[in-house]
Amino acid sequence: MFFYILKRLALSIVIVMLAVTVLFCMIHLVPGDPARILLGPRATPELIASMSARMGLDLPLPVQILRFFGNLFTGDLGMDVITNRPVADIVFNQLPYTLWLIFSAILFAALIGIPLGCYSALHRNTWADRVTGILSVGCITAPAFVVALYSLLIFAVTLHWFPAVGAGEKGDFLDQAAHLVLPAFAIGLSWIGYLARLVRASMLEVMGENHIRTARAYGLPERTIVYRYALKLAVLPTVTVIGVGMGFLLSAALFTEIVFARPGIGKLIFDSITTRNYPVVMGSVLISTILFVISTTLSDLVNAWLDPRIRASL
Amino acid sequence: MNTKHPALLAADPKRRDFLKTSGVLGLAALTGASEIVFAQDRKILRIRTYADMRSLDPAYSQGVVDEEIQSSIYSKLIQYKPGREWGYELDAAESIEQVDDTHIRFKLKPGILFTGGFGEMTAEDVKYSYERILDESLESTNTPDWGSLKEVTVEGKYEGVIVFNDPYPPAWNIALPYIVGNIISKKAWEEAGGKVDTTTPCASGPYMHHEWQPKQKTILVRNPDWHGGEAAFDEIHIFPIDDENTAQIAYESGDIDCTRISLGSVASLKASPPDNSTIEEYPSLYYVWVGMNVENEIMANADLRKAIQHCIDVPSILQASYFGAAEPSTGIIAPGLIGHRPQSMVPPEMNIEKARESLAAAGLGDGVSVTLDILNKSANVTTAQVIQATCAQAGITVEVNLHESGAFWSLGDSSAGERYKDIQLILNRYSMAPDPSYATAWFVTSQKGIWNWERYSDPRFDELEAAAKSTSDAAQRDEMYREMQDMMEASGAYRFITHEATPVIYRNTISPAFRPDGLPLLRSFSSS
Amino acid sequence: MIDILKRITREPLGFFGLVLVTLIVASAILASVISPYDPVALNIVDRLQGPSARHLLGTDQLGRDLFSRVLFGGQVALKVALVSISAALGTGVLLGMLAGFGPKWLDHIIMLFFDTIRSFPTVMFALATVALVGPSLGTVIAVIIVTSIPNYGRVVRTQTLAIKSNQFILAERAMGVSTRRILFVHILPNVIGPLIILASMDIPTVIALEAGLSFLGMGVKPPTPSWGSILNDGYTLIRNTPWPIIAGSIPLLLITLGFTFLGESLRDLIDPKLRKGI
Repeated sequence: MFFYILKRLALSIVIVMLAVTVLFCMIHLVPGDPARILLGPRATPELIASMSARMGLDLPLPVQILRFFGNLFTGDLGMDVITNRPVADIVFNQLPYTLWLIFSAILFAALIGIPLGCYSALHRNTWADRVTGILSVGCITAPAFVVALYSLLIFAVTLHWFPAVGAGEKGDFLDQAAHLVLPAFAIGLSWIGYLARLVRASMLEVMGENHIRTARAYGLPERTIVYRYALKLAVLPTVTVIGVGMGFLLSAALFTEIVFARPGIGKLIFDSITTRNYPVVMGSVLISTILFVISTTLSDLVNAWLDPRIRASL
Repeated sequence: MNTKHPALLAADPKRRDFLKTSGVLGLAALTGASEIVFAQDRKILRIRTYADMRSLDPAYSQGVVDEEIQSSIYSKLIQYKPGREWGYELDAAESIEQVDDTHIRFKLKPGILFTGGFGEMTAEDVKYSYERILDESLESTNTPDWGSLKEVTVEGKYEGVIVFNDPYPPAWNIALPYIVGNIISKKAWEEAGGKVDTTTPCASGPYMHHEWQPKQKTILVRNPDWHGGEAAFDEIHIFPIDDENTAQIAYESGDIDCTRISLGSVASLKASPPDNSTIEEYPSLYYVWVGMNVENEIMANADLRKAIQHCIDVPSILQASYFGAAEPSTGIIAPGLIGHRPQSMVPPEMNIEKARESLAAAGLGDGVSVTLDILNKSANVTTAQVIQATCAQAGITVEVNLHESGAFWSLGDSSAGERYKDIQLILNRYSMAPDPSYATAWFVTSQKGIWNWERYSDPRFDELEAAAKSTSDAAQRDEMYREMQDMMEASGAYRFITHEATPVIYRNTISPAFRPDGLPLLRSFSSS
Repeated sequence: MIDILKRITREPLGFFGLVLVTLIVASAILASVISPYDPVALNIVDRLQGPSARHLLGTDQLGRDLFSRVLFGGQVALKVALVSISAALGTGVLLGMLAGFGPKWLDHIIMLFFDTIRSFPTVMFALATVALVGPSLGTVIAVIIVTSIPNYGRVVRTQTLAIKSNQFILAERAMGVSTRRILFVHILPNVIGPLIILASMDIPTVIALEAGLSFLGMGVKPPTPSWGSILNDGYTLIRNTPWPIIAGSIPLLLITLGFTFLGESLRDLIDPKLRKGI
């Protein structure tokens, strides 16, 4: 297992480098001159050339990539030529907002989705189960931007329960928490359905296993069996799914960051890709890829730990 | 936690009660809460801009977003006058006059202080501020705004003369009261190494820059030493919100006090305005048009271009994309500016007979297929579909190509591949400053492959463009710019759509100040 | 097959799912017959209307009949889903089997490829692709294919690994049966069933992705009706009429319910073990 973890770590580094290189090449192939876009309509060809040189864009592509990784070893993600700030500062300034958002969304989804799933499993094949099923599945593909818009119209504009835009006053935790509620709801809603169905399914499977049947044979009430024994086992696959779902969460974060005018890494990547701000694209893509690889690696580890069949094949 | 930050528990009517649970407070430790002051009596103006700020240096200002901030923290000789008519009012200048075609004499008000201990503003500061924009090594993108500026000669502590090589009347419209007119402290800038980025060493306007929270807000605070008296607000919070729906929601939920709203919302907001709010509609200077690439194999046919001019039904576009809240434009120069044409040669309404005639004259009576490149904003997508539908009636098939902004803005760039040759029709929208020279500058021959994507070229147009910039006589200028727009339209390469409009909403607790095109002039906002 | 259908219809949610899927597929196929209007015909005078007998779901900003656009949007949605998922499935199966059955180094390379693709958040990859080739239906399909290959590939690989060590397969190999035969005769039939169920449950996700891309201005070309573009129009029109959002949400909701419940029932019937993988 220890060797496996080491191997995964090494592999993760290779994956991150590969992913960043691929994206780097893709972005460099796309039409659109960053210097031109960043400088605006008044820029002269000379200004554009000078800006390109400052961004290192006049160098051949492989050199640019090597330079990027070379600088990375010294902890340097490059500079944003527009604001003259280190890219690392920009990325780490925005990252916490997205992490908090994703974390709250998952927490919210788990708090509602897991009990719903248990309830469904307990009352399997009753009408209560079916109605819960329809409701929760109905949420799964609710597009984040639609949910975001409606939650704003209902809870911020009409009811005035929550603040509408932004991430809240810096340093004021209550305010920041209040600003997290609606965005987390917008992302979390689809996960409620997802988790509810997942927990229901794995719960039903666990309930069929030997030790649960034994417990039942001892005459323990169904409720006790579910909450004391089955739930623990049934929730484990959920953890795995969340790990793999990081990509979806980051994508959903982008939509909510747009609609709620929230700072965050999703919006940062979106803006920097559309303005072709390469240094920022590279830095933010690198960080989010690392984030993603960490979470998938963790989930693979959990998976391996759970399933002897996979462990054997490592 | 509680002992460390007693302020957190302070009563604030704005806090939402439901969150005041110990559980949530416990979590607060994780965010490293700090530096909170809940003063109840601060007057704060909260306003939206459509993008985040980029630079506090006038040399690198990127248009209105940066200028909204800079014009609040720096002084200029003259400022735009709030209201419906274009004009200026004195700011740092005690007097200013056009001495002759190439000389502007000014005298500063004595006693204007720069914050941060950088002393009194002198004519040297004006000279430094203006001339550095011309310095090539500084690589300012705003150099063109100064036109033919030669130098500023200092004649006394407060007096100086702005000298131009050629007459440059736009100086009064887009230089002195705009981005390059901001006066900064020579001493402060030299200490900072000649330029600044997202922080600034000093201010001389009614407000000072306090903090920039990227993608969240910019905070300005009152400058206690302002020469103009006491600024109206203790703080101004500027929120970058690019989505118009979100901006309106932020207004309605009380997060901001003033914002531009979308044209689609005007009717419903007017019908049932939010409590205690005022909606005002300002015209805008932007210009939207459909361009046609005269060098493209298919579009080189002038009769086809004329047919397309007649096929585009501007009133339908205004209904569908602008909710009837914008007027048709007659050219690229908006009403209220020198050079505005009272009407276009091709009427706004489509004319299917004329379109068919021109199409037949083009030898394309059996129909033709063209492409229309657009930026992927929803108004453009709607406009494109209207054009598609009306062109189809005349037998012109229009295929719409969507582009995201990075790709769109390089479409006509002839230094980046051959894509510029494939442009046939293009739906475009340029921003504008309040001088006609700002509009025509992009359509000269030397701009081909830069911003002149129609690749329109006419020596007479180029001559007029150069001459009109340096003509002092307003009536003569007016004539010249009109003729230039006539020429553009007659070439068939342009179908003018609209200048859009700028509807704004604000709370009656503030009394705002706007430029005639609806741009907020924050320094003149006050509370009522 | 008929037996399976019978068993699905016995379970209410499965039956519900089957009915919905049938309805949606039929309405999409018959769109040109059922829909009362041309989905791209403009009628600016009648724009932004609410539902009425003439326009069941109202009209959009160009006066186009939303009901007709929803029906034709079904064609686009199913086309995206079918083309992209079958292509991703095909490639995923092939690569997954190769990884599971082939030499160790090949396995490593393929897994590296999968992990690399997986490590891009979907939208980010989509953004870069759209910037590269421009927004269109084809781009949407291509993005979905590339990003879903690893999902299928990994499942196939795991299954292949499990089957590979079967006594029976070992015996076959010892007897000199060709790899290709083992792959296609013994392994493929074993993995394809679960995969089809997985895929059917992926259909709503794929369609939701199209909606998301449309919101970012990176979906289909106008005037093609797609549910995503209807939703996106609805987003900008929300202050004028709620109907485009409603019109775009209903089919998305129905198709999600339909394919999820159908997929779940199939899964329960065919392969209860698959639960873990989904």
